[in-house]
Amino acid sequence: MLRSRVLPLIVAVVVAAVVVIGAIVLSSSGEDGAPSGSSAPVAGGVKEADLSREMLDGIPQDGAVLGDPDAPAVMVEVADLQCPFCAEAGRQALPRIIEDYVRPGRVKLEFVNLAFLGEDSTRLARAAQAAGLQDRLWDVVDLVYRNQGQENSGYATETYIRQVLEAVPGLDVERALREREDPRVEQALARDQAYADRKGIQSTPTFLAGRTAAAAEPLELSELTGEALAAALQAKVAAGA
Amino acid sequence: MTLRHAAIVLALAGVAVAGYLTYVHYAGIEPVCTGGGGCERVQTSTYSELVGVPVALLGLLAYATLLGALAVDGELGRLVAATTALIGLGFSAYLQYRSLVTLDATCIWCLVSAALMACLAVLTATRLVRAPA
Repeated sequence: MLRSRVLPLIVAVVVAAVVVIGAIVLSSSGEDGAPSGSSAPVAGGVKEADLSREMLDGIPQDGAVLGDPDAPAVMVEVADLQCPFCAEAGRQALPRIIEDYVRPGRVKLEFVNLAFLGEDSTRLARAAQAAGLQDRLWDVVDLVYRNQGQENSGYATETYIRQVLEAVPGLDVERALREREDPRVEQALARDQAYADRKGIQSTPTFLAGRTAAAAEPLELSELTGEALAAALQAKVAAGA
Repeated sequence: MTLRHAAIVLALAGVAVAGYLTYVHYAGIEPVCTGGGGCERVQTSTYSELVGVPVALLGLLAYATLLGALAVDGELGRLVAATTALIGLGFSAYLQYRSLVTLDATCIWCLVSAALMACLAVLTATRLVRAPA
């Protein structure tokens, strides 16, 4: 027979609610910082290198462009490799775009590399751009996103950068390390900054799409999810980019 | 079958599911997944860990605690079982929200675990309320 023993249930519910709210707060607190467990990325080695390789495997790269050079449309990502929301978008939203749009050749993806947050940004941007000279920029971008550290904590050390580069398939690591000082890297970064200025980019990440990078217009996103990004991109592609 | 027996069966199933996901997490392999790689996306996301502890391991501990509490026949056992299941349900619900809305990915193993935890919450809460005075 059902007895009126609601008090223990209330106690259980209240305790459970307190614990769950605490866990959610802890879980969410990592969102605007680094991904969990990555405060010292070097200590545990480069994470998710296999996933990164799998995501990019077989897709052509040319400098900062990922995908079929003849794709009818381009999506541009303007980002700072140190920015947490860029990493969030890179981890959560880009894999879907790459799988559904870039791999089938419907859209190519171009990375515009800004370095405005601090010293770590500059060091990461140079490494990515140097890998771009070997057509491996997107591997570095993705690995840095997956192994991002705390903003401006000085995590982008030589060891960190070397480990990231070593995880990139087919990259001549020594050459990439050397070419970080190459004038072409400097020029590419200046060109990217000029592009962002011309487009009036106010925040990172900003995604744009169009027939060409020059003609691309910003995508309006309600949130940084694969679904939102795919919907915004689809609307542009359907509208003839 | 009593509520307690049913709860024990569900908790054992939960141990199996969470145990498998914990194994997959530490082995660094992809879970067997029907649904287009959603499991991998969920299992490797920011939300797969809570302050460095894999949520799969937390789930395993929750199911183990439930089994322990269900083995104790008394007021304390009922209270601990219900509280644990309600915590599990609340956190599972949050993780499902992150999985389906934030990550836009479906992880069938996580859904099964969430369903088990929901049933366990109902069973253990009912047991708590129906307990003899």
